Amino acid sequence: MMAALSGRIALALRFALREVRGGLSGFYVFVACIALGTAAIGGVNAVAQAITQGIQSEGRTILGGDIRFELVHRTATSGELATLRGLGTVAHSVNTRSMARLADQSDQTLVEIKAVDALYPLYGDFVTAPALPLSAYGEQDGAWGAAVQPILLERLGLSVGDTMRIGDAIFDIRAAIAAEPDALSDGIGLAPRVIMPLAALDASGLIQPGSLVEHAYRVRMAPGTTGAGMRAAIDAANRAHPSAGWSVRTRSNAAPALAANIERFAQFLTLVGLTALVTGGVGVANAVRAFLEAKRDVIATFKCLGAPGGLVTLTYLIQIVLVGAVGIGAGLLLAALAPFAAVWALDGVIPLPAAGFYPGALALALLFALLTILVFALIPLGHARDIPASNLFRNRTMARRGLPRAPYVLAAGLAALLLAGLAVWFSDQRTLAAGFLAGVAIAFVVLRLVSAGLQTLARRVKGLRGTSARMAVGNIHRPGALTPSVVLALGLGLTLLVSLALIDTNLRQQIAGNLPERAPNFFFVDIQSGVVEDFAALVEGEAGNTGKLVRVPMLRGRIVALNGQDVAEMDLPPEGAWVLRGDRGITYARNVPENSTLSAGAWWPADHAGEPLVSFSAEEAGEIGLTIGDTVTVNVLGRNITARIANLRQVEWESLAINFVMVFSPNTFAGAPHSWLATLTMPGADFEREAAVLSAVTRAFPAITSVRVKDAIDLVNRVIGQLATAIRAAAAVALVASLLVLAGALAAGNRARIHDAVVLKTLGATRATLIGAFVTEYAILGLATAVFALAAGGFAAWFVVGQIMALPWTFRPEIAAMTILAALVCTIGFGLLGTWRVLGQKAAPVLRNL
Amino acid sequence: MTEPVIELDNVNLTLGSAASRVHVLKQVGLTVPKGEAVGVVGPSGSGKTTLLMVIAGLERPDTGVVKVAGARLDRMGEDGIARFRGRNIGFVFQSFHLIANMTALENVAVPLELAGAADAFGRARAELDAVGLKDRLTHYPGQLSGGEQQRVAIARALAPEPAILIADEPTGNLDQETGRQIADLIFETQRRRGTTFVLVTHDGTLAARCDRQVRVRSGAVFEGGDAAAMAAE
Repeated sequence: MMAALSGRIALALRFALREVRGGLSGFYVFVACIALGTAAIGGVNAVAQAITQGIQSEGRTILGGDIRFELVHRTATSGELATLRGLGTVAHSVNTRSMARLADQSDQTLVEIKAVDALYPLYGDFVTAPALPLSAYGEQDGAWGAAVQPILLERLGLSVGDTMRIGDAIFDIRAAIAAEPDALSDGIGLAPRVIMPLAALDASGLIQPGSLVEHAYRVRMAPGTTGAGMRAAIDAANRAHPSAGWSVRTRSNAAPALAANIERFAQFLTLVGLTALVTGGVGVANAVRAFLEAKRDVIATFKCLGAPGGLVTLTYLIQIVLVGAVGIGAGLLLAALAPFAAVWALDGVIPLPAAGFYPGALALALLFALLTILVFALIPLGHARDIPASNLFRNRTMARRGLPRAPYVLAAGLAALLLAGLAVWFSDQRTLAAGFLAGVAIAFVVLRLVSAGLQTLARRVKGLRGTSARMAVGNIHRPGALTPSVVLALGLGLTLLVSLALIDTNLRQQIAGNLPERAPNFFFVDIQSGVVEDFAALVEGEAGNTGKLVRVPMLRGRIVALNGQDVAEMDLPPEGAWVLRGDRGITYARNVPENSTLSAGAWWPADHAGEPLVSFSAEEAGEIGLTIGDTVTVNVLGRNITARIANLRQVEWESLAINFVMVFSPNTFAGAPHSWLATLTMPGADFEREAAVLSAVTRAFPAITSVRVKDAIDLVNRVIGQLATAIRAAAAVALVASLLVLAGALAAGNRARIHDAVVLKTLGATRATLIGAFVTEYAILGLATAVFALAAGGFAAWFVVGQIMALPWTFRPEIAAMTILAALVCTIGFGLLGTWRVLGQKAAPVLRNL
Repeated sequence: MTEPVIELDNVNLTLGSAASRVHVLKQVGLTVPKGEAVGVVGPSGSGKTTLLMVIAGLERPDTGVVKVAGARLDRMGEDGIARFRGRNIGFVFQSFHLIANMTALENVAVPLELAGAADAFGRARAELDAVGLKDRLTHYPGQLSGGEQQRVAIARALAPEPAILIADEPTGNLDQETGRQIADLIFETQRRRGTTFVLVTHDGTLAARCDRQVRVRSGAVFEGGDAAAMAAE
């Protein structure tokens, strides 16, 4: 039995290898689509692996140590420091934000300050131009030294050698930063980096009780310390100082948020790549169908010579897989090269090791591509299985319509399920992945229905005047019409284009258009309690009658326990986990804050003096499973404070007003040093008025950090723009696949209609009549597809923006116009490109070759 | 009389959809003994080719018995018939139907490989030698003349040493001289090997070279008659 089977496979392979000598003619679209999809999936995953493995292997450099202990607001106590020094060499650095001003105070900008000790960096190289040792940044003639990112020089119009002010201190810009090895572990900065000695930060006067400051203590342990060794060291430090409230990271988890984001983004791009592959699958099906149609006589000959149907199918399946292997090979080659390109492009951004070979990523792409080929080739193969040997004796019968034998349908369905299952399995966000794939599947089905509906409609149109119109409508519904291929290929690409464009424009509109009108003009951070009244007087004076200043106390705290249970030991859903990650801003209030409404429980009396109480944001409480009466323990300034949830609030985060997840009763932090956070809203204020306020505040209170909301929104816009570019690049792969399939389908259709065109020409049809017919047909197909794409893409965008993101959604007419235009250009353009050459030829030579 | 190799009894076949059904074969009976050459003639559309297809198991009759080389084809499944054909029936077509991407040798070897023959290529080489093409073994069909292609087709048809050779207008696509040479080759080989031969043709001269002629008209089969007249009819 096994011998017979292997003998049959060997025979089919032999026949297939002989048959593929015919070359790749007719398979270019097939090969290109598979190559494109394989390259996209393999490339994205290989690059993601290169980056995440880079972060892993360069963890020490990225973290700036083997272990990093981070404290907010405060330095380590002498006892804590002694414990850390017992673990290895300790380097101390301080991160904070402030305003850098020109020496004459005429301009200023937000900067991210990193103050370092002489040991910085423990690992990696801090590279500056000119190259200077850290000792070169000491005080000279009343000015401290600083190294700054070139973008700051550009922003303030300064050069290396110039002077600037930060807080109360004057700084000489002694070098420009070329590489900051541990930048990634400090998170993505909002503003240009300034690196200075710790003593310079002290001299600036920026550090006051309650200031928003992060102290990082990086420990270099003995060489060869293992992960277990690090964990033991952390346990020992935690046991020695259970209330330290530090957040701890190790070299194996140096930039967890970045690694998680890269992985998530790669998974999303994999889905887009899969869409490209599935869209290309339509091209695979078209190519396979055309190929097998051309092989009808050969298949019939094989059968006449005694080949069973299964052997014939196997012979052609092997050929199709062999052709697919060319595309897969090309795609895998590109994918294998992608990490090298990425490492080159990210040089200086992420300290990555030399790019390598990532067989896992390539295997995934290979598997997806093979399954795609099977899904789309098995049905046409099933039809070919039933080509009768009698075909050699009779005129060709029409291709069998409907579904082939059950095993082929089952096998194709199984391959489709396996493909979808694998895509979902490899994704962390399985519901999202499943939803995305379901969307693609539904789009497929609906597009088939659209094409069927269009054909039915065309069939029912009677009494058309004019040959061109009659021919056009006839071409839409005749057997072997282009309608299904064109609608499917173009429809998928256009739908993706429309949904991405609508999501992008809606988000930009939301951020750049709606928010600033309601949002404040400024955020002021680190307002010390001693100056808060003077600050308020100054700002209210500068802002005039229409200005509105809102100020609230602000501390930083980290949730360490919920209902007495250590949060490190809790397994929480990802949507709520951010609340527990790192430090959160917290406040206290006598009354319900603005932009929030109580949704459950009661607010505490203004003079509440009993058990500490906390008001929790209702949405976040729901996500992490908290309710009224539960307790929350936060570590603030090295003290663990437990408060009971008294009520829940609905918070309007998108207002950009001051909002906190947790608002405590005022007695909770009685006597604790803290700073204030303020917002200033100046309706209708122009750039000059804003600049005047900024200048006045910075000059009078150099330690206060001012953030212009428009600048922050610009930054968010830039980030969204970069993300959108990456998504568009990935979507472009799907679009190119879609256009390739469309071009292939139209080319195949053109070959079939050369006969009609030439016969009609011999009967007296003019070129104008024929062109008119083709243009009308292509325009109808393009329009119908565009209408579907607008509806489906609009629905997808509405779902993402309106339902998932819960933001206002509007339909953009310019996108509708662009979609229709793109569809018409694609169908009429590609369509006429093929027929034009034929129409220009004389009928006789073509007729002779028919 | 030697044992019959082909026995058709009361065979009826209708083709087409409900709206346009055509009764192609009507109560056909035909017996061909081993080694006999039968010429089938008749006007276009009379049912000649359909008769051939029923004999080869390519069409299944609505009613009647089809017994070929001792096997009831009307009772066999599709793959069983295919395997039976591979072992027992050789075909020669008007349009040759060689596989374009295979060399002459590979084309001839295909039925032997399908039958699991041990030395498929050795036997294929011998068959091509027998039809005078030993110098064309590695040529592809596109590199051969029409006559040479038909010789390859004859070698392919005879390679598995089938009990029956079926030819449908084997000289129809060839010039007169080449056609005569091909006909000589077919008849000479058929007689030498004792192969039962069914030939469909419009060419009366060719039909006349067969041991017996049958006439097909409107789906019915009639025995005998002047071959040239029948073909002309």
